[in-house]
Amino acid sequence: MAQGHAGVDAVEEAYAPPPLSRMAIAVLALIGVFDAAYLSMYKLGIIGGLTCRAGSCEQVQNSPQSALFGIPVSVLGLGAYVALLALALVGVQPRFVRDRRIALAIAAISGVGVAFSAYLTYVEARVIYMWCQYCVISAVLVTLIFLLSLPGLRRARAAAS
Amino acid sequence: MPRPAPESRRSSLTPFYVILGLVALAAVALIATKLKPASKEGANQGVAVSLTPDQLQRVHGISLGRADAPITIYEFADFQCPHCAQFAAFIEPLIRQNLVETGKARYVFYEFPLGFKWSFLSARAGRCANQQGKFWEMHGMIFGRQRQWSFDPDAAAQFVEYARTIPGMDAGKFEQCVRSDQFQKEVSESAQLGQSLGVQGTPTLFVNGRRIDPLPESYSELEAQVRRIAPDAFAGAPAAPAAAPAVPGDTAGKVTGQSTQQ
Repeated sequence: MAQGHAGVDAVEEAYAPPPLSRMAIAVLALIGVFDAAYLSMYKLGIIGGLTCRAGSCEQVQNSPQSALFGIPVSVLGLGAYVALLALALVGVQPRFVRDRRIALAIAAISGVGVAFSAYLTYVEARVIYMWCQYCVISAVLVTLIFLLSLPGLRRARAAAS
Repeated sequence: MPRPAPESRRSSLTPFYVILGLVALAAVALIATKLKPASKEGANQGVAVSLTPDQLQRVHGISLGRADAPITIYEFADFQCPHCAQFAAFIEPLIRQNLVETGKARYVFYEFPLGFKWSFLSARAGRCANQQGKFWEMHGMIFGRQRQWSFDPDAAAQFVEYARTIPGMDAGKFEQCVRSDQFQKEVSESAQLGQSLGVQGTPTLFVNGRRIDPLPESYSELEAQVRRIAPDAFAGAPAAPAAAPAVPGDTAGKVTGQSTQQ
């Protein structure tokens, strides 16, 4: 009997219900993918201009700070959001809900994203004195993703202990 | 109470996938309404040219002043180089006024695109204006409004706007030229001439074949050097004042004499 209960608990443990926070991360990361893809299409010359209701999106995208080591910042952002989306989609699968590696990866990528977005926001405000609404949207998205990744970290820590 | 089977739990993700799909559809639709097709900007890169020394001698710049003037000044410049814009604002007008218009010097402008985003396109825009005899007018506009077009994703459109404001200029013909590859070869040849003369940064000046290095910070210092190179041209003429003209366009600051390195 004890063995039977243990087996059911193991199944319960292995198939934990997907947390809402991780689903929200997936939705936010998907929005981030499109946001960064739009800027990347402009930066790579696929589209000729940006529709920008607030700020000076094109000037910001053509500023010297819009690339890091020759790679457009928007392309780096696109890569980060694709990675976050993939991790979140895997992470909502019941068997991976308590997977420590996924929780850590989401927190690490979004943490770096928050730091980088803070730097870019500083550049917009204090160096080039221009704003890009899509960059601001991205900064908000990655900050929300980072905050939503914290419960996953706690779950992973609790599962480990 | 029986526990739900794992399969049924997996199916609880269906609403989540539906939401993701809707978000993706909405984002695609939103981006589709914001797409602006890439406009034809015109050639913005050089072509490979390999000129012999004899051919290099015949590369034409855009000149101003008497062909038989005793002094010949070559300037190698990039329209997107900030130091060239400062030079064009503060020193070049005095060269024109004191040396070119007095018949002492012929001033020849050669393009030397350094590799800024619109270096080559702007050089071609100058040539397109020259086709209509309006090079120097366009030269003033392009340098004077350098900050306006340098970050513009469609700099050609800005140049066309400048063309519209230049009296007697056919902006339509100019646009056709700028948005093509016309003068790609000529600008590339000008750049090769500069390379053959050891030009590495801009602006670089040659007076009667002698390079002015470093570039002086003021016109009076430059004229002093020109006087040393060609004293006969100044026989009886008093030395130049050091005053600079008013600042045109949005170009601001003082000429530092530094060159932008390639």
